[in-house]
Amino acid sequence: MPSGALLFQSVILGLLLGGLYALLAAGLTLYFGIMRVVMIAHSAFLILAAYLAWWSHARLGVDPLLSMVVTVPLFFGLGVLLQRLLLARLRPVTLTMMSVLLTFAIAVLIEGLLGYAFSGTQRRIQLGYGSASLGLFGARIAVVKLIAFGLAAVALLTLYLLLKRTRFGWALRATIQHPDAARLIGIDTDRIAGFGFGVGLATAAVGGTALALDTTIYPSLHWHWIGPLMAIIVVGGLGSVPGAAVAAMLLGLVQSLLQIPLGTTWAQTVFYLALFATLAFRPQGFFGGRLAQRF
Amino acid sequence: MTSRATRGRRVTATALGAAVALLLAGCGDDGGSGSSDDPIVVGISLPLTGDFSEPGKGVQRGYEAWAKITNDNGGLLGRQVELKILDDQSNADRVVADYEQLIGKDNVDIVVGPFSTRLVVPAARVAEEYGMLFVEPAGAAKEVFAQGFKNLFYAAPAVADDHYNHLAEYLLALPPGQRPTTVAYAAMDDPFAQGTAYGLKAKLEAGGVRTVVDEVYPPNTTDFGTIAAKIAASKADMVVGGSQYQDGVNLIVALQQLDYQPKLAAFSTAPTSPEFAAAIGNKTEGILAPTGYTQKASYPSNVEFVQKYTAQFGSPPEEDEANAYTTGQVVAAAVSAVGCAEQGECQQKLVDWIRGNKVETVVGPLTWDATGKPQGAHMIQQWVGGQIQIVLPTEAKEVDVVYPKPAW
Repeated sequence: MPSGALLFQSVILGLLLGGLYALLAAGLTLYFGIMRVVMIAHSAFLILAAYLAWWSHARLGVDPLLSMVVTVPLFFGLGVLLQRLLLARLRPVTLTMMSVLLTFAIAVLIEGLLGYAFSGTQRRIQLGYGSASLGLFGARIAVVKLIAFGLAAVALLTLYLLLKRTRFGWALRATIQHPDAARLIGIDTDRIAGFGFGVGLATAAVGGTALALDTTIYPSLHWHWIGPLMAIIVVGGLGSVPGAAVAAMLLGLVQSLLQIPLGTTWAQTVFYLALFATLAFRPQGFFGGRLAQRF
Repeated sequence: MTSRATRGRRVTATALGAAVALLLAGCGDDGGSGSSDDPIVVGISLPLTGDFSEPGKGVQRGYEAWAKITNDNGGLLGRQVELKILDDQSNADRVVADYEQLIGKDNVDIVVGPFSTRLVVPAARVAEEYGMLFVEPAGAAKEVFAQGFKNLFYAAPAVADDHYNHLAEYLLALPPGQRPTTVAYAAMDDPFAQGTAYGLKAKLEAGGVRTVVDEVYPPNTTDFGTIAAKIAASKADMVVGGSQYQDGVNLIVALQQLDYQPKLAAFSTAPTSPEFAAAIGNKTEGILAPTGYTQKASYPSNVEFVQKYTAQFGSPPEEDEANAYTTGQVVAAAVSAVGCAEQGECQQKLVDWIRGNKVETVVGPLTWDATGKPQGAHMIQQWVGGQIQIVLPTEAKEVDVVYPKPAW
């Protein structure tokens, strides 16, 4: 039986990890909500942002957090272009399936370019405060993990407020809930969908920076992330941002706790077990309702 | 998909090549392969792209340095040495096809090993089938020597399981009150990395030192938070990491984040890397690592190697380069002593010679047992005063072991 201190430490680590999962899954589920697109390249963009953060720190000497000043607008623009120039051209009938192929190609392209530019060597940002930590009731919280969690929390909150409190958010949600009706009341759904994609990709920029603070990155790392993220958005209910966030926190926590008895290798399977269970017993997901009524 | 298609073509090409070769052989022997002016062609398959491309390129540089230095000294048996290097893309299927091609189609005179234990075994099997001598720079795990290979020799001081032998002896010789009583192990799921940690584990357990954590993590692990939490919670006197480079760095940082202060910390590979200190924010004091090669070693051929390698590549050689160079030295010693280098009967003579002799190399004198396992142990280095220094064995030490280690 693990000690109380170890359990408490694992809960903290799990929550910090879950926060990052939540942010990353939020973007992924947004694309699906907006236009039923399965965005395989989401985690590749995540790694791209992580590399840009690493690069700006290693080569330009800038704090990795500052790289977001460039990457967030850049990724927003890329997202808009990606939706307007590529995904919007796919035929609606085969959109979901073809989007898998298209974004798969983009993921491989990004991975290849990263490998070409930075080689396959594993990289890690070397921060002066990399091993600093704070004490909390006997547990330790690493400063970098706390910053990453803070970034995720702020980004998620911003996303939530954007969707709930702004005209753009209303239009975006209307587009998600019923595109035809949205067009009838005068919403330019094509434009809104493009901006929605931009927002989704901007979360990848924030997530990638947060990721780069405390983990190693390498070009093929995105395959390691896309599986758990896909599982999270299915468990959370495809298209539901709050569902994805809750599922992410929960699965992150369970993964962290399962590592105590099962070890790292087997703890990873929690995502896929949750995915199977969801598809078998509640295909619409545990936290979202019907797609049309989400958030 | 492309690579699979290409491979299919390559296999066909190899089969075709073999058929043509047979046909030609049937037509009669035109021109010997071992004439005195031909270069000695050494065939190698290396992971120049893919997961192992970084160490693969290091091994390539080591082989290139060996060929250049040998040729500058007049070659082998008066013949120039020529390397034929194929890229196996870090793929075990591909490595087999590569060696088939090198031996069967390209008719190289000598083959030497690729990089990484996972690629050495399939490559050695091909060499064995063709009766070729197979000296290799990177198959340190015990599985390599359990395959019953008769032509294989590992060109390094010790296999993974023996890396920590000097440290185990040192610890078990401490008075009982000072000896660490509990140890936490964390090892990558990789035959080499795991071998180093488990070799030490077996010896310490036999000496009565208790194992309190025994974690194995997959090679793609990037988050070491929970593993570190387990180790920290166990309050083990000593932590041993069976690591490659980046995982070792990540684990150490994660342990430091949890403010875990062991009396001794030993990690394979990572601490000997030139980037290590910067990677963990210079909190290196007291960290131990086994090392098979150091530029500081005073063996005569090593002095020449370091000097000429540095002139050729602009920076001094690391362990991968040194192991490849050692491989070349072993082959060269056998070829010079036996007086031949071609396929056929010569290969068995080379094998027999190496089996019965001691070879002086850049990592010291090497001898092998019947399975091709080298009969030495690694030196132990420790970070003392901001630089990594040899602490064990006592006869080679630069400074004394610092134990218990200062806080990191």
